[in-house]
Amino acid sequence: MIDVSHLYKSFGELAVLEDISEHINKGEKVVIIGPSGSGKSTFLRCLNLMETPTSGTITFDGEDITACHGKELDRLRRRMGMVFQHFNLFPHLTIRKNITLAPVKLGLMSKDEANATADRLLKRVGLPDKAESYPNMLSGGQKQRIAIARSLAMNPEVMLFDEPTSALDPEMVGEVLDLMKQLADEGMTMIVVTHEMGFAREVASRVLFMADGKILEQNPPQKFFTDPKNPRLKDFLSKVI
Amino acid sequence: MEGIKGFFVEFGRKFSQNFIEKNRWQYLTDGLLNTLLITFGAVLLGFLLGFIVAVVRSTHDKTGRMKFWNAIAQIYLTVIRGTPMMVQLLIIYYVIFGSVNINKILCAVLAFGINSGAYVAEIIRAGIMAVDNGQMEAGRSLGLNYRQTMLSIILPQAFKTVLPSLANEFIVLLKETSVAGYIAIQDLTKGGDIIRSQTYEAFMPLLAVAAIYLVMVMGLTKLVQLLERRLAKNDRR
Repeated sequence: MIDVSHLYKSFGELAVLEDISEHINKGEKVVIIGPSGSGKSTFLRCLNLMETPTSGTITFDGEDITACHGKELDRLRRRMGMVFQHFNLFPHLTIRKNITLAPVKLGLMSKDEANATADRLLKRVGLPDKAESYPNMLSGGQKQRIAIARSLAMNPEVMLFDEPTSALDPEMVGEVLDLMKQLADEGMTMIVVTHEMGFAREVASRVLFMADGKILEQNPPQKFFTDPKNPRLKDFLSKVI
Repeated sequence: MEGIKGFFVEFGRKFSQNFIEKNRWQYLTDGLLNTLLITFGAVLLGFLLGFIVAVVRSTHDKTGRMKFWNAIAQIYLTVIRGTPMMVQLLIIYYVIFGSVNINKILCAVLAFGINSGAYVAEIIRAGIMAVDNGQMEAGRSLGLNYRQTMLSIILPQAFKTVLPSLANEFIVLLKETSVAGYIAIQDLTKGGDIIRSQTYEAFMPLLAVAAIYLVMVMGLTKLVQLLERRLAKNDRR
């Protein structure tokens, strides 16, 4: 579904990603872990061109997205949901408007359809009574669940999660991870950058370890956590588990 | 007692001399009308110009596009903010429109509007830049294009942030129009000054002029407060 080949990204002199090639199949749940500064967020953000790669190609469903511009790119991004570390809800809009804005603006749904979708999604993320609230009235965990609902409103084929629980108070991490597990169980293709090893172990179909802009090791979670080969990974795991 | 009575009699006489006799109050009302016309027109023009320049400048800062228009905007900002308002007014009236017969009020609207636009532009740009980058990313990640994200996500938030500064700019503009007299427009200030020149009495007409400006500014301030309160409703925590 997503094919990355020889992806390089540098910010000025600083090389962040070095020759990454990776293939992600439909329905896979790929979890990316690694120390901070390893390039994992940048890698994720390249997948929907939030960051423009320096070189290399990314194909999504056979379409070369690194060659996409303007409208084509906007259309591609609709098919990939993204959830951010800091939620990035629109603070000046109600929760309902946060969810319905894009589908209505882009002419994918009528206002009524979008409202019905919003109600359905809010029920699904367990916040059916928050439609008329504003983001500032919600807790961090609630905000992140709304952000997930907002992405889902576009019926994406892939969901990209960029450290979705890193900005949350510990007691709120569970509710967001539960929702993500539920999504995974329903067959959503997911790429998740996280520090939640428990989630990786339980949900991932594959775990990637990134350091210094490269993917150093990858395996199904069972093998990944019990039998790490790369010394950097061994060292990393010994510190976080 | 006599002294106090004498004061009131004198006050009444001067009041009548400055405002009632020969319908001199009309200098103030006519002047006020012109002041309001110029201010209103200049606010509209200034806002429009400022808005466009701000969007051009911040689009350039964020995306690197619109190099040419950004350069034009830079020149505009530098020239307008680097020269006195009154000189600009005189240049527009005597140099740019020197050889054509143009309505003076329109001329003043242009001068004050173009001037105000430069300040409004930087105010709005500051507001746009103050909106967290994640907002743009969230909008774009949903498939909205730059323009759509700007219009429905960034700008509404930017306006809320800059509303007090924007209101302040318009209050300054209202008071600044008092130099319109220099191109022989009979605005509020000039109106008061004409009364002074006829009655040789400075106190009454000039204080009346000051009081009228003050009341208008207070009214505007109140209006802005109401608007701010309305916009703040999603800030409840």
